[in-house]
Amino acid sequence: MDRWYEAPGQPGSNVVYSRIRLVRNWKEYPFPSRMTKEQDSELTARLCESFKGIGPADGTKYRFAYLDRMTDLEKTSLVERRVLNRGIVKKQGTSGLILSEDESVGVIINGEDHIRIQVCDTGLKTTECYERAERIDDFIDSRIEYAFDRKYGYLTSYPTNVGTGLRVSVVLHLPLLSTWKNFNSLTADMGRFGTSIRGLYGEGGENFGALYRISNQKTLGQTEREIVDLVTKTAAELDQKEQNLRSDAGRRRSLARLDEVYKSYGVLKYARRLTRKDAMNLLSQIMAGINDGMIETKEPCSVFGLVLGIQPANLLRMAKKPLDKDELDAARADFLRERLPEIR
Amino acid sequence: MLCENCKMREATIKYVEVINGVKSEHNLCTHCASRLDIGQYSALFEGEFPLAELIAGIFGKTDSDRSRDQYAQVVCPTCGTTYEEFMKNSRFGCADCYSVFDPLIGDNIRRLQGSESHVGKRPAGHRITENGEGAQAAAEKADRQQSEKDAELPVAERIELLQSRIKGAVQREEYEEAAVLRDELKKLKEETGQNG
Ligand SMILES: [Zn+2]
Ligand SMILES: [Zn+2]
Repeated sequence: MDRWYEAPGQPGSNVVYSRIRLVRNWKEYPFPSRMTKEQDSELTARLCESFKGIGPADGTKYRFAYLDRMTDLEKTSLVERRVLNRGIVKKQGTSGLILSEDESVGVIINGEDHIRIQVCDTGLKTTECYERAERIDDFIDSRIEYAFDRKYGYLTSYPTNVGTGLRVSVVLHLPLLSTWKNFNSLTADMGRFGTSIRGLYGEGGENFGALYRISNQKTLGQTEREIVDLVTKTAAELDQKEQNLRSDAGRRRSLARLDEVYKSYGVLKYARRLTRKDAMNLLSQIMAGINDGMIETKEPCSVFGLVLGIQPANLLRMAKKPLDKDELDAARADFLRERLPEIR
Repeated sequence: MLCENCKMREATIKYVEVINGVKSEHNLCTHCASRLDIGQYSALFEGEFPLAELIAGIFGKTDSDRSRDQYAQVVCPTCGTTYEEFMKNSRFGCADCYSVFDPLIGDNIRRLQGSESHVGKRPAGHRITENGEGAQAAAEKADRQQSEKDAELPVAERIELLQSRIKGAVQREEYEEAAVLRDELKKLKEETGQNG
């Protein structure tokens, strides 16, 4: 079965994907940082038992895995695919992962909180993702008693998640907007209205691939609907701003842009060695090119799927042996040569 | 512009940090900037969950030394988390920690979240029950009982209580609430002849 990120993007939209995350805790146990080893395995076993039946209930196939029995490489590759958050890779003690076949729905048991529900989908589908996460939340709510306080709402390990426990994120591809002179004041304004923005990939001060994630800063004092709406509206505005700049640029210097896109395709299709940075920036050109109708692949292509594919842990996992930097860059070029579809 | 940390003094220091190519700007007063590791502070607004010590920087260092010593003794009886540990990790150990540490960190949560009360979804067990007494009604009842209890206190203590509530409201910049409390205090003083 295809993974959710393998679905091709929608032409005309710069939204790559939407993600909902809900955290919950079980009233019967202390939060994970204060649990004994015995409690770790007991809670994980009991919660997994409670989650049985979720598959038939939401018509999806799930599989279960113990995170503490996975290798660091497997876990890091799940981090790259956005299933796990980085913090859990080093966690001691029993914890579990319930993951749908297409990896769009993941529940982490006994991570930083007892339950972390995540739903992802391509495009601007925050509402759909939230509704799906809420159904899973309701399913568990009918089986265990959540830690809840009338003042603070759903109680979480970190006060940065308390209240709704909800984080709504939208990832956008903003190659022109991010180089626009007013981009920084735009993001500062967004902060004042309660959303934050950060680069998805990069090193130090440099961004690779022009992918940006916006999400709500606060989790308390607003309803779930308000939080979803805030992030969705902000994402739609950024998408529109990017689109306007792109149409302008397309009109003004169409040959230059066409040339850039085709050259990028050529390098990706024929290079024998590619650094992560170069590959990400070239894929960014392809993403924009497909979106703007400047280049068309013979088969539908998820450029974001390729972005996930060329990350180091995934390449190492596929190689099934350790690789040095040059070998990794070669494996990356091989991966892209093989996966990038032909163009018309 | 006000300092975004204390929201009390004029921000005189602008701090800019770039993470994965996104520039974020923070405005702090000299007082807060000198007390915070601003490189870490800026990360408060980044990422899915800010790393613990980043918030601890804010939570810990806005309290006076005196009150910090006083608070250091507070321990959650359920899970054993101490106030000091919370300051270090910005992480609670159990659900009860919230009520145990609420008097100490309520203002900080409010500052962090811009609110102190949940208005969203509730678990099934906390929704309005069939006999009409839902959580909201129970909460209001508890508030009523609290003010009745307050009314039984000696006048001097009631005055003191009101004064500290006014102070709290002003600190939280809830001037409307402060005004209501001030009127209440005035009335109480008049009724009991404790004017001036
Ligand atoms: Zn300040
Ligand atoms: Zn506790």
